[in-house]
Amino acid sequence: MTLSPGAAPSAGGATQPQHVHPLTPWVHAMQAAPVLLIAVVVPLGNAGEFGAWIILVALVAVLLLVALIAGLAYLSWTRLTYWFDGQGDFRIDSGIVTRRERRLQLSRLQGVDVVQPLFARLVGMAALTIEVAGAGDSRASLQYLKYEQAQALRSEVLARAAGLTHDAGEAPEEPLVLVPPRDLAVSLLLRGTTVFLFLLTIALVILLSVTAGWAGLFMILTAGVPIIIVFTEFTQFFNFTVAKSPDGLRTKAGLFQVTAQTIPPGRVQAVEFVQSWLWRRRGWVRVRINVAGLSTTDDNGQNQSQMSTVLLPVAPYPVARQIVNYVLPDMDLLDIEMKAAPPRVHRRAWIQFRNLSVGWNDRVFVTERGKYVNRIAVVPHARTQSVRVTQGPWERSLGLASMHVDSPPGPVTVVALYREVAEAQRLAQEQNDRAQAALRADPSTHWMTQTGAGDSDEQSVADFAPPTGLPSEGPPPPVEQEGRPAAPSSNDGTPAGQSPPAPDDLRDS
Amino acid sequence: MSPKLTTARRLVLSITLLPLTVIGAVVLVVAGLPIWALVAVVAALVIFVWAWWLIGRRVRSFGYVERQDDLLVTSGILFRRLVIVPYGRMQLVDLVAGPIDRSFGLASVQLHTAAATTDAKIPGLPPDVAAGLRDRLAAQGEHRSAGL
Repeated sequence: MTLSPGAAPSAGGATQPQHVHPLTPWVHAMQAAPVLLIAVVVPLGNAGEFGAWIILVALVAVLLLVALIAGLAYLSWTRLTYWFDGQGDFRIDSGIVTRRERRLQLSRLQGVDVVQPLFARLVGMAALTIEVAGAGDSRASLQYLKYEQAQALRSEVLARAAGLTHDAGEAPEEPLVLVPPRDLAVSLLLRGTTVFLFLLTIALVILLSVTAGWAGLFMILTAGVPIIIVFTEFTQFFNFTVAKSPDGLRTKAGLFQVTAQTIPPGRVQAVEFVQSWLWRRRGWVRVRINVAGLSTTDDNGQNQSQMSTVLLPVAPYPVARQIVNYVLPDMDLLDIEMKAAPPRVHRRAWIQFRNLSVGWNDRVFVTERGKYVNRIAVVPHARTQSVRVTQGPWERSLGLASMHVDSPPGPVTVVALYREVAEAQRLAQEQNDRAQAALRADPSTHWMTQTGAGDSDEQSVADFAPPTGLPSEGPPPPVEQEGRPAAPSSNDGTPAGQSPPAPDDLRDS
Repeated sequence: MSPKLTTARRLVLSITLLPLTVIGAVVLVVAGLPIWALVAVVAALVIFVWAWWLIGRRVRSFGYVERQDDLLVTSGILFRRLVIVPYGRMQLVDLVAGPIDRSFGLASVQLHTAAATTDAKIPGLPPDVAAGLRDRLAAQGEHRSAGL
């Protein structure tokens, strides 16, 4: 083994490099075996009359493959070590041919998962996944540890991320909600997607059995019917529990593969309550979240990423609000006065025009959209990355514009659709001011301005662009820039006669 | 924005659309459809003129203002956009110049926040202006870095 850095225990809570559990290669091999067996034997069984010895050869081939996997897994096991270094970061060295040394900055921790695939669960093992903020592959997975070991490591990671001593011990858990499997099943059935998938399945089955007969039917059964997606979601969210603990909100779910996720406080960037049309009578909603680093375009497969972005698969709205209150405290959603979009919006949004509204209080910004799938998105001012106003040709013909609040990648989109142009601009400017004020007030960030609130905050967007808005045609030919390079008045981006004030004017005002 | 951006973009339009049109027309003629070739050429010409005109307007639509606490960027003709990015939210500032941009002495500055949807790109700046803007933005960003 090549372990030079951090090998010696030093001050600051560094630990010795450790291996994952020695049974790991075996678990990997056993997990691969059934898949291989099906992949090899099923086509043979279908092909038929070659005699038993072909199947025997196939079985031997499977065994050899499994042995090969086990061997490779053993090699990577010998090469994989993890430890906490002196700077309080988590380190993983791995790789057989290509060596990889990862260093996860725990101060940027976004979440910790304990994942138990079916076979690992049967033998009492679990994988630990650590997610830090960052683009692309910003997660590390330790496969496999004993379940207790994984839990201990999880609490140690969380404790170190919170700046506590590393032997703080497991934080106590207080259960908040359990989603009954029956409710989950009903909620999944009462969705447009399910109906669509069901019809698609029927169509596929009919089509293939008519055109290809039994072979077609067999093909679709082995390739998988679309409706399986719903079943997968059911197994994924089976027995979904949410619990509160000092190191964050914990969710745990799964029928075959059990995933336990911990979201440390303050990591949630935006929240969305989604309500399918058929859920309305029961008052159910699903809660989805944006957490930096848990984007849906994850390279670790959809299961994990979808798991990570669902905070609650289905619950009555009041319960969902309560849970959300743990991740976004004191937001008092009910007290927020929602302002509807202008009446003529029905000419742009024929279906959802009654459901478009926007509101805010001193902590969060809320938007609502969608009739058949109603989405209420909530973003705290302190988590606003940037604000945008957009306007397409159709919107412009009606004098409307949409205002967006940008959030890190995730399922939640915060957009106030189809407002009056002037209103959209005012919303953007005001939200920007609120976001900046929240940033300055937020103790969890290092806001280090020497000056106080800038005077330019008082400037409204209307000063930069007229109600017609975003720059339009007819500017004079561009003037060659002199002096201050960034002077916007020479950047002919605004209509004639409405040139924006120069930055100097702003600063002096 | 520098007016050279208009020229650069029109050049790109020309060197992509014109050869395509010629190839398309030749193929149609060879295939024995001269009337369709004529239609295609006329359509391509209409698109060319329209795009030529649109590029001028679109380039003029770009604008930005460095305010005290944030950067404001506007762009677009058909789809108009106004973005406000607080300096404290900027995670990195890119300065990009492709081969055609470089030959015209142009560069663009792009801002990134933790949100992928923040679309704040300022194209067609003279390189020294772009570099100056980048440095000022980076300095402001460092100054006020607010994390996530």
